[in-house]
Amino acid sequence: MSLLSVRDLSTEFQSGGRWLEAVSDVAFDLQRGEILGLVGESGCGKSTIAYSVMRLLARNARIRSGEVWLEDVNLATLDEEELQDLRGRQISMIFQDPTTALDSLFTVGHQVIETLQEHLNLDPAGARQRALELLRQLGIPAAEQRLKAYPYQFSGGMSQRIALAIAIACHPQVLIADEPTTALDVTIQAQILQLIRRLLVDEQGTGVLLITHDLGVVAQVCDRVAVMYAGKIVEFGDVHSIFSKPLHPYTQALLSSLPSKGIARGRLENIQGRVPGLADRPSGCRFHPRCPQAKAVCRERVPPLKQVSASQEVACVLYD
Amino acid sequence: MSSTTNGGRPLLSAVGLSKYFSLETGLLASLRGKAATVKAVESVTLDVYAGQTVAVVGESGSGKSTLGRLLLRLLEPSAGQVLYQGADIFGMNRARLRAFRRQAQIILQDPYASLNPRMRVGRIIREPLDIYGEGSKAERQKRVHELLERVGLNRNHERAFPSELSGGQRQRVGIAAALALSPRIIIADEPTSSLDVSVQAQTLNLLSDLQRDLGLTYVFITHDLSVVQHISDRVAVMYLGKIVEEAPTETLFAEPKHPYTQVLFSAIPLPDPSRRMNWDLPKGEPPSPLNPPSGCHFHPRCPQAMSACSHTVPRFQTVGRDHGVACLLYEEGVN
Repeated sequence: MSLLSVRDLSTEFQSGGRWLEAVSDVAFDLQRGEILGLVGESGCGKSTIAYSVMRLLARNARIRSGEVWLEDVNLATLDEEELQDLRGRQISMIFQDPTTALDSLFTVGHQVIETLQEHLNLDPAGARQRALELLRQLGIPAAEQRLKAYPYQFSGGMSQRIALAIAIACHPQVLIADEPTTALDVTIQAQILQLIRRLLVDEQGTGVLLITHDLGVVAQVCDRVAVMYAGKIVEFGDVHSIFSKPLHPYTQALLSSLPSKGIARGRLENIQGRVPGLADRPSGCRFHPRCPQAKAVCRERVPPLKQVSASQEVACVLYD
Repeated sequence: MSSTTNGGRPLLSAVGLSKYFSLETGLLASLRGKAATVKAVESVTLDVYAGQTVAVVGESGSGKSTLGRLLLRLLEPSAGQVLYQGADIFGMNRARLRAFRRQAQIILQDPYASLNPRMRVGRIIREPLDIYGEGSKAERQKRVHELLERVGLNRNHERAFPSELSGGQRQRVGIAAALALSPRIIIADEPTSSLDVSVQAQTLNLLSDLQRDLGLTYVFITHDLSVVQHISDRVAVMYLGKIVEEAPTETLFAEPKHPYTQVLFSAIPLPDPSRRMNWDLPKGEPPSPLNPPSGCHFHPRCPQAMSACSHTVPRFQTVGRDHGVACLLYEEGVN
């Protein structure tokens, strides 16, 4: 059984009296001890998937259909009390801005220790001991003093380490990381990614759903990747296959628009036009108006995600 | 682009440029006897030749944005000069400064924050022309249309508010406004950092086209080394207020000398899963610019630090053709 299994998830937002679909029929499995990357540009729905799985959607959003199985529990049907019990203990989340997870009025120690006491039924001394252990594991120097400090006294990188400490305090099986290193400098980003990869995934067997716009981050730490465009997964598979042989024209375009070391100075490839808004998503394949290989049929047919090799699935009529 | 040192005088130079910010003022600071000072930019010397792009690369707190603002005199320096065609911009009177400012413009990172949300796009682009009293009203209007087209927008965008545009389109509006007065040099401060990769590619291509067609000179401030290779002729790497290495782009990418530059390269997540990083990362975080380490500022994080590094300030010196580095590893008689 997969650790986390998302089935035909559709999530919509209310805007001006209409419900607009942000995520359409998305399905994927997350296994123990793997990092699954969910990659795409702004507005593709990748964060909406995270918030749907966590059931943390804003008031103007709702899951229209679909199931979210955490082992044998369907999160999509739980009530708030049942969810509270699972969040943190079984499934946790960290965000792009780590300060959103921290309360500026309390010391960091208070917040970490409180989480531990609540979820693990530890006495104050035991919780404090565990908090110190966690901070050290996460590479926070002078952990004793740091527990007494307030969030504003922490750099972005340190705040993200603290948010990560709180998120993994109860050894959740699943961690959802929504652009966890986007706001950090590259040397700090590398440190945080290393922590997630080594400590969480390789040592503890946590399953991580990593949401990012950064294809470099995906290539460096993910095992498998789902490429999203306009609310749908257009390509899915093993990270090596997708980077060495991208099949979907969107994945191809995205990879060739990257500036990277080893490519001489010159023009970058780019994708014509812009990502469509929720209200004006095209018919058929949603990428067809921007696709250099579009055919007449692409305007009408919605291509399903189809297995084309042992390690790759793609949603494109070119592979029918 | 043109060769690195094309014999002539640089268009813009920083000479021994420093900017210190005093953090605490008032009673507490005076009781303590001294105000805390951040040396945001310290003794920076940099030449920018006409038609070239010089990239200034660094992480948060490196002082790269402060340097950008000093180059346009949006800040007054604590020491040093900025020479534009040989004249110190800090010694200019109002009239000459005004003349300088029409030739030197800035593009900012966040097109969401840098455009006035209450102004329509046409007015944002026209504003510099209005301020400088360029031409008749009809001529200004014509110029706005030219500029919109030049940056890949059209007349339909003229009546739009910034909120109605995408991030990439807003950045184009920022670029059009910067171009309005036909400047010779543009300081671009993280112009593509908040954009998606495909939009980033469009914007970088636009900046290259504009440089080719209009003969522009760029100072390109960024934290992203992977962007640098596509846009710049020279690169200056900053760490805690100082330039630690400067070289032609190709040289820097082929042979980074400073351990910090090497660390920066190794931390870039390459979009290639077959070349995963070895995770030999620098320990710790960049120290606070309030209390920078003695000697070489990088020594506590440096994988190659020697005992001398904690007390000797390295001199910036030449190590190859147009290649300078400030590191004791390359200083004779120290190691």
